[in-house]
Amino acid sequence: MSAKKNIGRFVSEYAVLIIFTVVTLAAIAPSGLSINYIIQELITRLGRNSFLVIALLLPIYAGMGLNFGMTLGAMAGQIGLIFAVNWGVAGWQGLVFAIFIGLPISVFLGWICGAVMNKAKGREMVTGYILAFFISGIYQFFVLYVLGSVIPIGNSAILLSRGYGIRNTLNMEPVRQAFDSILMLRLGPFSIPVVTFAIIAALCIFIVWFKKTKLGQDMRAVGQDMAVAEAAGIPVEKTRIIAIIISTVLACIGQVIFLQNMGNMMTYSSHDQTGFFAVAALLVGGASVTRAGILNVFVGVVLLHAMFIVSPLAGQSLFGSAMIGEYFRQFIGYGAIALSLVLYAWKSRKAASDARSGLRGGASGNGNGTGGQA
Amino acid sequence: VKAISLKNRRLLVRSILVVVYIAVLVLMLLTGKRHTILIDNKDAEDGSYLAIDGMSVQIDKQESSEYYPGDRDKAMVNGQKHTIRVELFSDGKIVESSFTLPLGQDMVLLSVPKLVAGIAPYFEPFTIQLEQASAPDAGPLQSTQFGGDTPPNPEEGPPAPVLVQ
Repeated sequence: MSAKKNIGRFVSEYAVLIIFTVVTLAAIAPSGLSINYIIQELITRLGRNSFLVIALLLPIYAGMGLNFGMTLGAMAGQIGLIFAVNWGVAGWQGLVFAIFIGLPISVFLGWICGAVMNKAKGREMVTGYILAFFISGIYQFFVLYVLGSVIPIGNSAILLSRGYGIRNTLNMEPVRQAFDSILMLRLGPFSIPVVTFAIIAALCIFIVWFKKTKLGQDMRAVGQDMAVAEAAGIPVEKTRIIAIIISTVLACIGQVIFLQNMGNMMTYSSHDQTGFFAVAALLVGGASVTRAGILNVFVGVVLLHAMFIVSPLAGQSLFGSAMIGEYFRQFIGYGAIALSLVLYAWKSRKAASDARSGLRGGASGNGNGTGGQA
Repeated sequence: VKAISLKNRRLLVRSILVVVYIAVLVLMLLTGKRHTILIDNKDAEDGSYLAIDGMSVQIDKQESSEYYPGDRDKAMVNGQKHTIRVELFSDGKIVESSFTLPLGQDMVLLSVPKLVAGIAPYFEPFTIQLEQASAPDAGPLQSTQFGGDTPPNPEEGPPAPVLVQ
């Protein structure tokens, strides 16, 4: 009975992870892709996406859930890249330049996001999601009208033909894979971008170290119970804002790393799916709204991308249309988020219900029918 | 007094951080700025120097290229300070020189016959209407939507907003 209960608990805890693993493994054979190809693709995508997903961890530690507001940081990174391309700063210096341009913008946007979320405690996720839409409008106004008219853009190749506003597609040839190509390690048939992985490793070490600092401990205290943390003298609102600012700054850097690997930027839409993708990856990795770790990041990125790699070809092979696989990919991405949130809500309600039952049980055990407060 | 001192110290640290921040930005701009060097091997219009009949030219540590009279090629470089090494096929003579490109100049025309003849300056600004560097068809188009590989709408400007009722 206990073993059955444990299995049930494990399945409910890691439902998304299990579903993804099973579906991905089942899709590998019909896709017809070689294992070497899939592994190489996974290595590339791990380097491309892990930083962005790690950016989600600190707000979860601070009890603010999945930070859909990280899109704000992605927009800041994109603005930095636009200026790097405009001024013709190439190579890894161009990426560092873009990050340094994006940093103050992401700090400012993170502060706004944190302040707004403090006004909407308990509803941070939906608030961040809608805030991202709002800031995206301002970003579009800035890139479409301000750049080239108010702020001079010297590189006419990136301007729209009317003379102001940035083109829909920004070719980032000067900075394309600049971090990845600094040191490419060849291991058999695989190429590993050492510097990109070193940056990700440094971030992981930072996260582990940060959790042990006073601020990190404060964040965890705030995440567990804001009222208790407040009573203990922790500045709750300030701590929450700092968590969001760090997350937004990391998202800015993560978006630069992501786009340098892609090699081109959809000026008006590259940031749209950043939050969704990162959240889906983290949830697929076995994390929840309240609990996440570095291991969840890597498991999630590997599983989600393994699915992305094999699903179009599996769809082609099984249904005769690659579009089925593409639709499946979208469906599974959004589905992972929905399933995870539903499971989280269900578990929260069940835990609350169990707690109430426990209280009632304790009260009746005392022979007092009026309740446990007596 | 102690409080003021602490305040001043904090201000000093912040000021240093701002200076370091700006210094890194400027350093990245100086060392990462990309220039295009057009390597030219043509006669002077006034006949003051003649194109070189066969040579190899190497910019920095890039791969060297062979040039014959009338040839023109380009080299992409980052940063301002560079070296050029010219080896003449006729007598095996090697000419080496260092030069500094103006920061604001994206493209310069470097005349190798001028360099070999010892005429200074041997490079001059070259301005053209840049070819499309960010055209929709340039580079691999990949969607960022859930890791997809299908290109989104490559038209200029953002897609029209969807009206929600």
